[in-house]
Amino acid sequence: MSIVIADEPRVAAPPPPEPVVPRRNYLNTEYGVLSWLLTVDHKRIGILYLVSISAFFVVGGIAAGLVRLNLLSPTGAILTEDQYNRMFTAHGVVMLFLFLIPSIPAVFGNFFVPMMIGAKDLAFPKLNLASWYVFMIGAGFAVYAVLVGGIDTGWTLYPPYSSRSHTNVTPGVFGVFITGFSSIMTGLNIMVTIHKMRCPGMTWGRLPLFIWAMYATSFIQLLGTPVVAITLLLLLAERVGGVGIFDPAIGGDPVLYQHMFWFYSHPAVYIMIVPGMGVVSEILTCFSRKNIFGYKAIAWSSVGIAVVGFLVWAHHMYVAGIAYYSALLFSFLTMLVAVPSAIKVFNWLATLFRGSITFHAPMLYTLAFLVLFTVGGVTGLFLATLGTDIHLHDTYFVVAHFHFVMVGGMVLAYMAALHYWWPKMTGRMYSDFWSRASATIIFVGFFFTFVPQFVLGYHGMPRRYPNYPQEFQIYNVLSTAGASILGFGYLLPGIYLPLSLFFGVKSPANPWSATGLEWQCPSPPTTFNFDFVPVVVCGPYEYAIGVDQLGRGLPDPPGPGDAASPYRPVGPAGPIHKETEVVG
Amino acid sequence: MTTDTHKPDDPPTMHDVDKVGSLFVVYFVVLGLAVANILLAEFGHLGNLSLPVQLGIGTVQACLVAWYWMHMRRGDKVVTLTAVTALFFIFIFYVLVLADILTRWRAAI
Ligand code: HEM
Ligand SMILES: [Cu+2]
Repeated sequence: MSIVIADEPRVAAPPPPEPVVPRRNYLNTEYGVLSWLLTVDHKRIGILYLVSISAFFVVGGIAAGLVRLNLLSPTGAILTEDQYNRMFTAHGVVMLFLFLIPSIPAVFGNFFVPMMIGAKDLAFPKLNLASWYVFMIGAGFAVYAVLVGGIDTGWTLYPPYSSRSHTNVTPGVFGVFITGFSSIMTGLNIMVTIHKMRCPGMTWGRLPLFIWAMYATSFIQLLGTPVVAITLLLLLAERVGGVGIFDPAIGGDPVLYQHMFWFYSHPAVYIMIVPGMGVVSEILTCFSRKNIFGYKAIAWSSVGIAVVGFLVWAHHMYVAGIAYYSALLFSFLTMLVAVPSAIKVFNWLATLFRGSITFHAPMLYTLAFLVLFTVGGVTGLFLATLGTDIHLHDTYFVVAHFHFVMVGGMVLAYMAALHYWWPKMTGRMYSDFWSRASATIIFVGFFFTFVPQFVLGYHGMPRRYPNYPQEFQIYNVLSTAGASILGFGYLLPGIYLPLSLFFGVKSPANPWSATGLEWQCPSPPTTFNFDFVPVVVCGPYEYAIGVDQLGRGLPDPPGPGDAASPYRPVGPAGPIHKETEVVG
Repeated sequence: MTTDTHKPDDPPTMHDVDKVGSLFVVYFVVLGLAVANILLAEFGHLGNLSLPVQLGIGTVQACLVAWYWMHMRRGDKVVTLTAVTALFFIFIFYVLVLADILTRWRAAI
C-alpha cells in the first residue's frame, strides 16, 4: 500500500471512447407482455421485481399512513381498535416480507451482480424467473390475507394468539411461507453466480463491495429462511390441525416459537440492511472520488455480520420468560454484532475524509443513510443492554430504533441504488433538481417522524396501542406531520423517475465516471451485457489513479459547461483532486 | 453404488448419473426405517434408550438422503463445506435454545 500525493488531476490511461449505442438493448429486443413474463434475462427479471415491489411499497405505505392518521387523536382518530390492529399488521407484513426482504437483492442484485462481475447472466436464469413467480404467488396470498379481512396479530405472528385468532392468519402465514422460497432461490442463484461466473481477473479481492455484501446476504438467506419456513408450517399445523406445539393450552411452548421465529428474523434484518451497506460502499467512493478506505475490513465485516447475526436473536425475548442466564449471554452476544457495523461506518467516514465530494441525489441519499443508520445502530445498543431493554421493550423506542435502521437505512440505500443505477437501467437521466429535492425532503421528514417516537417510547408509550394518554398527543401529532412530509418525499421519485423515461436526456455509458464493470456496458445494456469478455486488471475503486476495472481511464463526467438541457446531470469532478490512498 | 466408469474422485460429468434402481433401493430403505421407527415408538418399550435409538434411526435416514439423493457423495469441496456449515448453524441454534430451556429453573442471579 502506498500513498500518492498529487496536486494536478492525473489520468493514468486514456478514457475509452463512448461506446456506440446499440440499436437493440435488453429493453427493446422484444416487445409485448409475454416477452416480459417469459423472460430469463436477469435485467428484465430485476425490472419485474422493481415494478412489483414498488406496488407493495405503495400498499404498505398507505397502511402506514392510516396508522399514523389514527394516532393523531388519543382515542383513535379514524379506525376502530380492531381495524387498527389489522392495519399495523398489514403494514408490517407487506413492508417486511414483500418490500424490504426482496428489495435490493431481487432488484439490484439480479440486475447488477452479473454485470459487476463480468458475466452475461446469473448462473440459473430459469430459477431466477421461477423465483419471481413464486414471490408473486406468495405475495398474492399475503396481500389477500391482509387486505381482505386482515390479520390482527402483528407481523411477528406470536402464538398462542396467532393460533387462536379468528382473522386471516392461515393464508397470511402461507403466503409468507411461499415468499420465503423465492428468497432462497434468489440467494442461491446469486451465491452460485459469484462463485462460478466471475470474468477473468475478477479475483475475490477485486470484487466490488456490493458483491461481497450480496454474498453475505445470500448466505443468510440460505441458512435462515428454511428455519422460518419450518416454524410457519408448525404454526399452521397447530392452527389448522390442532397439534400442540406452541399453545400452552394444548401442551406447547410459546417461547419456543419466539426462538424459532427470531432465529430467522434477526438475521433477516441483516438480509435487509447488508445489501444496503454494499450500495453505500459503491456510491460513497464514486462521489468522493477516493478509493474506498479499508476494502478488506468492509468486505469481511459483511461476512462477519452474516455469521454473528445468527447468534443474537434472543435479544427480542429478554422479557418473554427466557432464563436469566441466557438473557445475559444474548445481551453480550448482541453487543458483538454492533462491532462489524461500526467498522463499516468508520471506514465510510474515512473514505469521505478529504475526498472531493459532490452532492448528487445518490450521494445525498447515501449521506442520509450514514446518519440515520448510525443513530439506529446506536439505539440498538440501548436495546441490547439487558437492563435498559426491560424498560424499553415493546415501546415506541423499539419502533423508532428499527425504523431508523430499516427506513433510514435500507429504504434510503434502496433509493440511493435506484438513483445511482437508474441511468444504466433505463438509459435516461432523471431531473437533477427534483431528485436532490426529494432526498432532502425525505431526510427532513424522516427526522420529524421518528425522533418524537424515541421520546414517546422512553416515556412509556407501548407500541401497537391505538390509545394513549393526553400528554403524548403532541409527539404523536409531530410524528404524523413528519410522516406526511416523508410521504410527499417518496411521492416525488414516483413522478420524476417515470417522467424521465420519456423526457429525460439520454445517459452516457458512464454518467458518474465510476470504475465498476457495470459502467462498461452501454446504457441501457444489451441482452448479454458485454460484447467481449472483460478482463479485469485492478481493484474496484481506483479513483485515485482514475482507472476503471479494465485499466482504462475514466471519462470526464458531463459538466455544467455542456448544459444542453435542464436535465443535464452535473457529474462529479474528474479523476483526482486530492491526495488519496491507493490500495493493491 | 457408484457407477463403474468413474472413480469417486473424478469430477462429475453429464453421464455421471445414478441408476434408477439404486435410487429406489435407497428410497425403500428410508421408508423401511421410517416404519421401523414408528413401530418402535408404539411397541418398542425401550425405556430410556428409546430417544437415542430413535434419533439414531432418524440420523441414518437423513444421511442416506443427503448422501445419495442430494448427491453429496459426488459433491466437490465447496458443496461439502456448505452442507457442514448448515449443520453447524443448526447446532448453534440447538445449543443456544437449550441454554435457555435448561437453565430456566434457576432463580435470578
Ligand atoms: C447495530 C446493531 C443492532 C442492534 C444491537 C440491535 C438491537 C436490537 C434489539 C435489542 C431489539 C429488541 C428490542 C425489543 O424488542 O425490546 C431490536 C429490535 C429490532 N431491530 Fe435491531 N438492532 C441492530 C440493528 C438492526 C438492524 C440493522 C435492523 C434492520 C435493518 C434492525 C431491526 C430491528 C427490528 C425490526 C426490531 C423489532 C422487531 C419487532 O419486535 O417487531 N435492527 N434491535
Ligand atoms: Cu434483532
